[in-house]
Amino acid sequence: MICKVTRAEIFQYLDGELSRRERAQVEAHLRSCPDCSRLVTTERAFRATYLDRLRPDPVPENVRERVIRLLDALPSRQSSPSRPGRLGRLGVMAAMVALVILGGILGLSVRDVWKGPNASVIQLADASVDQHQKLARGLLPFDIAMASPRQAEEWFRSKVDFKVSIPDLRSEHLAFLGGRISHLTGVDVVALGYRVNDKNVSLFVIPEEQYRRLGLSETPKFKVVNRRGYEVVVWRSHGTGYALVSEIGGQPCLVCHSLEEKLELTPAPAAHRS
Amino acid sequence: MDLRAEFQAVVMANLDSLFGYARVLTRRTSDAEDLLQDVLLRAYRAFGSFDRKLSVKAWLFKIMKNAYIDRERRRRARPVEGEWENGDERATDEERGARTLPGEMYLYVPLSPEDILLRHLTIEGVREGIRRLPAVWRQVVELREIEGLSYQEIAEVIGKPIGTVMSRLSRGRDLLRASLQDLLSEREKTGAHDL
Repeated sequence: MICKVTRAEIFQYLDGELSRRERAQVEAHLRSCPDCSRLVTTERAFRATYLDRLRPDPVPENVRERVIRLLDALPSRQSSPSRPGRLGRLGVMAAMVALVILGGILGLSVRDVWKGPNASVIQLADASVDQHQKLARGLLPFDIAMASPRQAEEWFRSKVDFKVSIPDLRSEHLAFLGGRISHLTGVDVVALGYRVNDKNVSLFVIPEEQYRRLGLSETPKFKVVNRRGYEVVVWRSHGTGYALVSEIGGQPCLVCHSLEEKLELTPAPAAHRS
Repeated sequence: MDLRAEFQAVVMANLDSLFGYARVLTRRTSDAEDLLQDVLLRAYRAFGSFDRKLSVKAWLFKIMKNAYIDRERRRRARPVEGEWENGDERATDEERGARTLPGEMYLYVPLSPEDILLRHLTIEGVREGIRRLPAVWRQVVELREIEGLSYQEIAEVIGKPIGTVMSRLSRGRDLLRASLQDLLSEREKTGAHDL
């Protein structure tokens, strides 16, 4: 028998539509109500299995071609002011060369010490890639966008029960796009979107308690897996778990580390403060 | 920056979603394409002043909903909102049969997510279940489950209070469970394994 008092709220809870206080009330109820707790578990599994993987039907090819022709025929206009921080072609090429070198060094080092796959990491990585694709395609809109990392941190402070530290690197190579409260393998997380040299990178911030349930070993610090062409890096730092998805190995490190920084295998820069 | 290039990128990134929503509204592919082209022209005219802090998809969907209402008003010289409340008035019997649920479905006890999981429905089966929902609920379920819009964004798109969004979503989800139960029953009767 489902507890009718909070059934509607449970769906709002799962949709990420409750305030922090309301979420706390629902979570308190879940701890004492096995029926509602079971509903949440199965609903999350249902969403992870089906709903989170739904995509819009592809537009018919003939329609797509006509839309492209229509868009090409639109009159050209200029926006003002132009968006700051865009690199010139030479700048992009130089950055890419530096990133490939940096990525190679870090990626190889991590793989050297990581001993084989782990089912929890694979599951988390697959879920992260699914979410990353949705974020990159605009299927999951950001709850907060066009904001600074500090403003986003402040916004999340009132929305989630765990600390969200967002690296605030001032780099022309990297743009913080925004964030949203999301779900990964049935766990509430904060999903952050970045553009790193015209590539999308997603960083998922996972509460420590939930990260520990994955049962991952502490060493090596970084677990790197390749899933469906994406590089996924999973790690824990100062009481928070992270999963980072990128299309090109090594580039995601720029989310937390500037190009000039000397990277180590277990870094603890200021951006990882607890 | 070239506004046209930015607009093209936005449209192409959201094209599947836009055309899908146009199909939900118009229920016919040819009408959906007309509506989509109308929306793109409207949106491009307003794109320069679009607030980049907002969800561009929700903005485009809202333009589409308004464009659709305008088109229906011109076509029929009367408001279209009542039609949404009552379901598929414009559809032919054949189309209605393909898209809506049998009346008996409202008597079903919705299948629990656990039951659905245990019976191994496919993603395409769930997609078909959503397609079979009556338009008024299908619209909200698609905007939430496929497009990932927030309640507030859905409210802005469909022009209804957020409470209406929540009640329609709740009802739509129950109907989806019932729709999936219907699909599974069909599968078990025919022995098909592709749902």
